[in-house]
Amino acid sequence: MDVIIENLPLYWEGFLRTLFLSVVSGIFALILGTLLAAARVSPVAALRGFSTVYVEVLRNTPLTIAFFFAAVVLPRLGVKFEQFEVAAIIALSTYTAAFIAEAVRSGVNSVPVGQAEAARSIGMKFSQVLSLIILPQALRTVIPPLINILIALVKNSSVAGAFFVLELFGYGRQLANANGDAVITVLLGTAFFYLLLTVPLGILANTVERKVAIAR
Amino acid sequence: MTTHVPGDALVSLNAVNKHYGQLHVLKDINLQVRKGEVVVVIGPSGSGKSTLCRAINRLETIEGGTITIDGKVLPEEGKELAQLRADVGMVFQSFNLFAHKTILENVTLGPIKVKGVSKTAAEKDAMALLERVGVGHQAPKLPAQLSGGQQQRVAIARALAMKPKVMLFDEPTSALDPEMINEVLDVMVQLAKEGMTMIVVTHEMGFARKAADRVVFMADGQIVEDATPEEFFNNPKSDRAKDFLSKLLTH
Repeated sequence: MDVIIENLPLYWEGFLRTLFLSVVSGIFALILGTLLAAARVSPVAALRGFSTVYVEVLRNTPLTIAFFFAAVVLPRLGVKFEQFEVAAIIALSTYTAAFIAEAVRSGVNSVPVGQAEAARSIGMKFSQVLSLIILPQALRTVIPPLINILIALVKNSSVAGAFFVLELFGYGRQLANANGDAVITVLLGTAFFYLLLTVPLGILANTVERKVAIAR
Repeated sequence: MTTHVPGDALVSLNAVNKHYGQLHVLKDINLQVRKGEVVVVIGPSGSGKSTLCRAINRLETIEGGTITIDGKVLPEEGKELAQLRADVGMVFQSFNLFAHKTILENVTLGPIKVKGVSKTAAEKDAMALLERVGVGHQAPKLPAQLSGGQQQRVAIARALAMKPKVMLFDEPTSALDPEMINEVLDVMVQLAKEGMTMIVVTHEMGFARKAADRVVFMADGQIVEDATPEEFFNNPKSDRAKDFLSKLLTH
């Protein structure tokens, strides 16, 4: 227990880093994922094709490969970063966007097709149909699965620790190495700080789910 | 029977064809609808009448032939299609009111977002239209709080708010309880009297007799008869139409 209390500032630092990685990657992933979902249902075949390939490739490969590409392959192609954190954010957001695209697409499909037909029949453009009619109605069904994806994102951000980014897991590993006699306590402490982020998100998902159920 | 004098062809279908896989749903359809005319399309289910109606604003694509509205050929996709659709009002069997918007917003959304009308002007217009179809007091409610008949009247108001050149009705009363059918038909009859160009797919023969200038009878993807209501109901020429009418009149 002493190990955790003595190193509380370090844990806190790691916690904030993880929070930062998760929030920034989460925002990028939400934007990219929604655009991918829009492309997936668009009338342009090329956009649909691109989105499908993107989602299937990213969703069906391990996150470590996305990290490897962002941290090792991109710099070789001439994309240089000052910090590895940028690579981590790229990897996390491109990877998570694939899952978000799938969740948003299933939400879009849950809105009856007549809603889109009615919107088109009063002269709305595709972008208006999507942003004014479909997405607002899809949102309520999409929020619970989106929160689950964000919980996974928080946990996935620990992979960044293996790619020279010091976040919660990275600091946890350092501490474990430095305190060989208290590895279990150190790791329990690390897990506790992850729970501090993910449990509230889970509670939020349940609350939203219940509210949506009542509103129907 | 209406008293107005129909003008030039507003909607024109020339040799229109469409397949659903093996099924040939529209076979060489030719149909001209003049300005101010009320054309009622009837026929057995599966005859292609709904597909015909939906093809006119390209909710269904066609494979052959042309459809022109007010002299303009229906564009394939994109901005021009959206603009043309704004001129063609559509009323659906299942109402399709925007479920997350109030009744008032349902009617104002098109004018504000598509035509760029100011919110105050759109709301004033919308209230007048809602009063006209008899649901003005429902304006702040959500669609799910209204009865089917009320929802369909709102849907008519929503389409009218775009000031369309022609109104399409795709079985507007088929999803309604019997006691609500008349409140919707009354609005449609009134609209016909005011000179709106209308294409109405329906099973309501009473409406066809009362408001139609022409009755188009479809069977198996073809237009079998195209006549005035008296001619069609009293003296149908084809066996197919005679058969169809005899089945209706026995009940």
